[in-house]
Amino acid sequence: MSALALGLLLVLAAAVRAEERSVALAVAEHGFTPPEIEAAAGERLRLEVTNQTAVAIEFESFELNRERVVPPGRTVAVYVSGLSPGRYEFFDDFHQERRGALVVK
Amino acid sequence: MIETLLIMWRESLEAALIVGILLTYLARSGERAGMRYVWAGALGAVVAAVAMGVASNGAAARLGPDAQEVLQAGVLLLAVGVLSWMVLWMHRNARQIGGDLRRRADRALATGRLVGLAAIAFAAVFREGVEAVLFLWGVVVQRADASAPALLAAGAAGAALAAATAWLFFRGFAFLNLQTFFRVTGILLLLVAAGLLTAGVNKLIGLGYLSPIEPQVWNTAWLLRDDSVLGALLGALIGYRSRPSLLEVLAFSTYLPAMGWALHRADVAARSASERGPARSAA
Repeated sequence: MSALALGLLLVLAAAVRAEERSVALAVAEHGFTPPEIEAAAGERLRLEVTNQTAVAIEFESFELNRERVVPPGRTVAVYVSGLSPGRYEFFDDFHQERRGALVVK
Repeated sequence: MIETLLIMWRESLEAALIVGILLTYLARSGERAGMRYVWAGALGAVVAAVAMGVASNGAAARLGPDAQEVLQAGVLLLAVGVLSWMVLWMHRNARQIGGDLRRRADRALATGRLVGLAAIAFAAVFREGVEAVLFLWGVVVQRADASAPALLAAGAAGAALAAATAWLFFRGFAFLNLQTFFRVTGILLLLVAAGLLTAGVNKLIGLGYLSPIEPQVWNTAWLLRDDSVLGALLGALIGYRSRPSLLEVLAFSTYLPAMGWALHRADVAARSASERGPARSAA
């Protein structure tokens, strides 16, 4: 049964390699740069979240269903895809005054 | 200060609940040796989480953030496997016990199962532990002044509060009779495993390895917000998310009937074995 599930996952993994666009998202003391990202509906995005502060941050979004810790000075790639038009907010869970949004049109 | 406490409460809650359910189960079934292994797994994970935090936070970080995330996803999926195996074994165990604990000496836990218990506790604590270490590290670095110790204390209080939450939660289980208790913990552990599977899948989607198929199947934020107390509790226990992707929903909802089928098969096997010869039931 679990072998079947694994097989299904592998098929899905193969289907994932669609075209993607990279978007840089920096986190500094004052917040996210840029504070707002625009994207087209259905687009596959690779958010490159760079932590420019001296301590760990956590990129988090309930709307996007994503959560990633970024150590200081590092960059992580967070993938989102197939989004419908709307406003998707994200924040730094460790410093919640830092907020931003992905606007899908 | 309050924010530090709340963040640490949330980061520690999942670990506390999973370790709590294992300890409660073992205490009820009189398996003291098993409890030691759970504690060993949990303490080992704290050490490993600190080591990982140091390895990924220092200037000469040895492990890239993506490799770390893949490792975390691997730990989660491994935990699902071990937990499923444990539930199957517990199910057989519960059948044997019935209402009678006198035979407990005959059913001493085999080493493999003890290691399994330690592995689940390790996975639960390690996962949240790395985040907690990085967060607290940040708290200390940011406030290199007199307020750092106070904030650390707030963080420790948050973790203690998570342990208290888990303790209160499982105290409620003390009122169940033994058979109901085993049934309820069995179902709860299956939901926990399904939640861990979903969390692992979520990480692989975020890493770009899997397609969400549909990024948001539904939105139950109007009913239960992710950042509410109940939302956090259900999130920690069974992986509740207000806006899951289709692949996550599929993973969760395929796992449960699959395990139901495996449990049913174990029942059928046990029944036909006892029909063949009652003398062999004391395995």
